[in-house]
Amino acid sequence: MISEEIEKLKKEVWENFEKIQDLSHLENFRVKYLGKKGKITFLLKSLKDLSLEEKRRLGKELNELRDQLERKLKIKEREILFKEEDKDLGLDLTLPGRSFSVGTLHPLSQVIGELCDIFSRLGFEIVTGPEIETEYYNFTALNIPDWHPARDMQATFYLKNGALLRTHTSPMQIRTMLERKPPLRIIAPGKVYRCDADVRHSPMFHQLEGLMVDKDVSFADLKGVLTYFAKETFGKKTRVRFRPSYFPFTEPSLEMDIECVICKGKGCRVCGEAGWLEILGAGMVHPEVFNAVNYDTETWQGFAFGLGIERITMIKYGIDDIRMFFENHLSFLQSFK
Amino acid sequence: MKVPISWLSEFIELKESPERIAEILTIGGVEVEAIENPYENLGDLIAVKILEVYEPEDLKDLVLCKVTDGKETYTVLTTAKKQVKPNLIVGLAKPESFTFSGEKVEVKAVKKFKSYGMFLSPYEAGLGEEKEKLLVLPENAPLGESIYKILGISEKVLDLAITPNRGDLLSILGVAREIHTLTSWEFNPPNFENAIKTGEKFPGKIEILDKDGCFRYAGRFFGNIKVKESPFYIQKRLWLCGLRPINNIVDITNYVLLELGQPLHAFDWEKIEDKTILIRKAYPGEKLLMLDGVERTFTEEDLVIADAKKPMVLAGIMGGEESGVSENTKNIFLESAWFNQKRIRKSSQRHRITTESSYRFERNIDPEGVVLGLLRASELISKIAEPEILSEIVDVYPKHFIPPQISLFNQKLTKYLGFSIPSEEVEKILKKIGQVRRSGYGFQFIPFSYRQDLRIPEDLVEEVARIYGYDKIPSSFPRSTLHCQSPSKILIFEKKLKDILKSLGFSEVITYSFIDPKTLEKLNLEKNDPRLNFIELANPLSSNQSIMRTTLIPGLIETACFNFFREVNSLKIFEIGKIFLPTEDLLAKEPLYLGILLMGNTNKETWYENLRKFDIYDLKGYLASLFEILKVNVDFKPYSSETFLKRGVSFDLYLDGEKIGFAGEMKNLVLKEFDLKTCVFIAEINLQSLFEKIETLEKEFIVKKPPKYPSTFRDVTCIIKKQIKIKEILDFVKTLSIPYLEAVDCIKIYEGSPIPEGEKSITIRFWYRAEDRTLKDKEVNEIQDSVAKKIFERFSAKPR
Ligand SMILES: [Zn+2]
Repeated sequence: MISEEIEKLKKEVWENFEKIQDLSHLENFRVKYLGKKGKITFLLKSLKDLSLEEKRRLGKELNELRDQLERKLKIKEREILFKEEDKDLGLDLTLPGRSFSVGTLHPLSQVIGELCDIFSRLGFEIVTGPEIETEYYNFTALNIPDWHPARDMQATFYLKNGALLRTHTSPMQIRTMLERKPPLRIIAPGKVYRCDADVRHSPMFHQLEGLMVDKDVSFADLKGVLTYFAKETFGKKTRVRFRPSYFPFTEPSLEMDIECVICKGKGCRVCGEAGWLEILGAGMVHPEVFNAVNYDTETWQGFAFGLGIERITMIKYGIDDIRMFFENHLSFLQSFK
Repeated sequence: MKVPISWLSEFIELKESPERIAEILTIGGVEVEAIENPYENLGDLIAVKILEVYEPEDLKDLVLCKVTDGKETYTVLTTAKKQVKPNLIVGLAKPESFTFSGEKVEVKAVKKFKSYGMFLSPYEAGLGEEKEKLLVLPENAPLGESIYKILGISEKVLDLAITPNRGDLLSILGVAREIHTLTSWEFNPPNFENAIKTGEKFPGKIEILDKDGCFRYAGRFFGNIKVKESPFYIQKRLWLCGLRPINNIVDITNYVLLELGQPLHAFDWEKIEDKTILIRKAYPGEKLLMLDGVERTFTEEDLVIADAKKPMVLAGIMGGEESGVSENTKNIFLESAWFNQKRIRKSSQRHRITTESSYRFERNIDPEGVVLGLLRASELISKIAEPEILSEIVDVYPKHFIPPQISLFNQKLTKYLGFSIPSEEVEKILKKIGQVRRSGYGFQFIPFSYRQDLRIPEDLVEEVARIYGYDKIPSSFPRSTLHCQSPSKILIFEKKLKDILKSLGFSEVITYSFIDPKTLEKLNLEKNDPRLNFIELANPLSSNQSIMRTTLIPGLIETACFNFFREVNSLKIFEIGKIFLPTEDLLAKEPLYLGILLMGNTNKETWYENLRKFDIYDLKGYLASLFEILKVNVDFKPYSSETFLKRGVSFDLYLDGEKIGFAGEMKNLVLKEFDLKTCVFIAEINLQSLFEKIETLEKEFIVKKPPKYPSTFRDVTCIIKKQIKIKEILDFVKTLSIPYLEAVDCIKIYEGSPIPEGEKSITIRFWYRAEDRTLKDKEVNEIQDSVAKKIFERFSAKPR
């Protein structure tokens, strides 16, 4: 009789269990079967009138049912709770997220930083110096006497007291060599000035000077260092070319071109159909420069190079108007985030 | 320097295309900037067919032609009445094009008739002598096509950028010689064997009085010449090189200058007083009306060619108007000289004149080319100007040029290049540019006279490397002793600042170091403000970039303006750069400064946030964060003494008793001067001072352990007088030496109803913590009660 009821109850229990949808269902279900007045509890109580053997057998069966049910309910409850949290809360997730302002360094600062890193890896030390210079440091000590037509290469801003705005970072070669004994290996980034203004020329721009002096640092080494710099800056596959050139403070002198990044050497408007872009000037330090700083030319030789930061930045990022760097339009600056 | 391929090929057998030649030159160190086509550069000179010819009565000598270029028809007026007829195909220069003589063609109107261009003569087309004839094209010529394409005529001209050391390349001959050096193609130098070297006795007197200014002076007299227009081939070559023809004599001097690089000057013999030619220093104050119509006053440093009475020419630079060759000239004296490059350079700089001639003298010419230039000109003058008399050549050459002797050791070459080039190869290369003798461990070398740039062994290293080929020298890495220096601390400091400001959301700007003095006026500075003691440029590009900045503020405000007028409504920028202060010395003081600017709104208007404008607490907050990260205790002292800031909304920044900067809101009146109609907050800090202070104040930095036991806080809320500043209360709290007090801060301020006018409600929060245990509520309460009582007493506060 009871065992039939138990069978019936079991069937009912599992049927109803499957129907549980939410927490209130679940609670009702628990009360209905497992509560103090629940059906299983009731049946367990009603066992007391049965024989010992039956009591043990059916009791065990009912206890097992209860335990199983409790276990399954726990799992069910967790499932429901998990599902609850998946409910659609009616949020419009297509709305944009909250934005926060992100700062940025000026593109020229970024490129100077990159170049300093590249040359630091080669053991070059960063030095800086004055932007207002004397004729001596800017020209004379660099083997550019005042009658020299090479002065035409650099249109100079003079100050009313006879000083000038440095036209290149090369005075730092002289300043450093006068201050220190060889060997040395320096780079000097900074602002320079020339009276010239159009799409490609700014009256103020930035250069990075390099100088290495040692016992047998050679022209071949200069090529090696500059090639490394070009590949680190413009990518490993960058092709470079070296052309003879002229600077009064280097001999031999050279200019380095990289293969045009736009047309890959085929020739385009940017490179003037040449397929090459001029990147920097360099050369072996002229003995007159060593004489000016009292370095013994029998023992020491070296190379120097100078490159335009704006030019490199323009090539790297396809900028066609140098004035943009100094207008500082926020959207221009922020594109370098 | 323009080098027509056709002229070049007279001196060298060109075995490659102009493009390839350009590459060879560029790689050899002579940069070719462009390959030009002067005919194409003229513009639309095209074939048109004459459809109809009208002879309107009121046009006199002109006829009106209706022509077609195959697509459109238009009318053209011409004087070639007798030559035009229907169906004739002729050359037309369309409006906006140029003709050979340099005229710009424009739409012209005569009475009611319009002329859309100009019919070309062979001369105006740059094809031949005839000026009166019409250029008639073949019957089957395609209409609208360029006449040069139809006639198969092309001229290519290399545009070279010659470096200042290579004066020898400023001639067609020089470039031909250089190509020969780089390629070994067959070189045909001009032959002077049959030149007319002798003549009648020179009818005048030449004397070099300034031997430092003039090293060699040669000349020749030509009698009874005919001054007229040059033959077409000379005109064309001058045109290809960008020069205008003038008359045969002047053209010949220019022709020889272009061809051989030797500047010449022709004098009208009749204008030479006493037939005496003196090369001397100018007398101070001596004046000369020159060919460009400008009268110049000379100094003793100028070198002039003078006759017995007056200067005639500023030597090597430009002639006087009076002594020059004109149509009426019968007899001439032709000068060919070698002047001191330094003297010419200084004069040309002083008087701001650059001519084809001065350009070459400055870069030094071939001393041995002086007489050759005269011979070449004589040949041309004899042919073209039909002189009846030629004098002998007078050549005053007091001290002959001795070329330097240079030793180049093999070891030096190899050590310098980091690569060894075989001796035979080196010898072969050196032979191209001078005389070579092998000696011991290297070479003895004497450069050819035109290579004035070769003086020291290093010059030869470059020549050898250049002609051998830079690309054939391998790349390597230096071998060197490792030596390390500590990096510069201020550079690290600067980089750290930039990183902090970037992380605070600021964008870095870079503005010009030179500013407009007017922007300083706009700042309304006190008369004795040190920022008004600025450094002025002697030759600024414009007045708005004419002084060196003494503050970063004008640059920042102008950047704000630039952005404001481009619809940027929220700006948060900084600049780190030098300002420039005059000293007793030639050099300036160049301290590094930091400028910060906030403009407009803190944010954009969005679905989650309303617009908020920047206020002083934003600026103070950013600065406080900056100083916190730098671990410096900067004092924000209200109020700033800067006259351009709103006093009530500003601070001076003090560190260790020294003012290092300021921060605050710009006055509206000042902003108005800049046309800026929005609020701007600005701060400027002397980084040099800040850095030096930090260096001296630097304390050992030891990390505190995170606390082990919990903290607890208590609030005091009270109503006090409005004018009591929070800092007064916090300073008072400090004096109380409260046990276990970890931090104290104002967390709430309220003014308005129901708080009575002139008062405010504040809430101060006190955090307590013990290092070794959890504090009991009771003990904290006891402490806090006593603190609260003291605050109430001290500030006559009322409970809320
Ligand atoms: Zn390209």
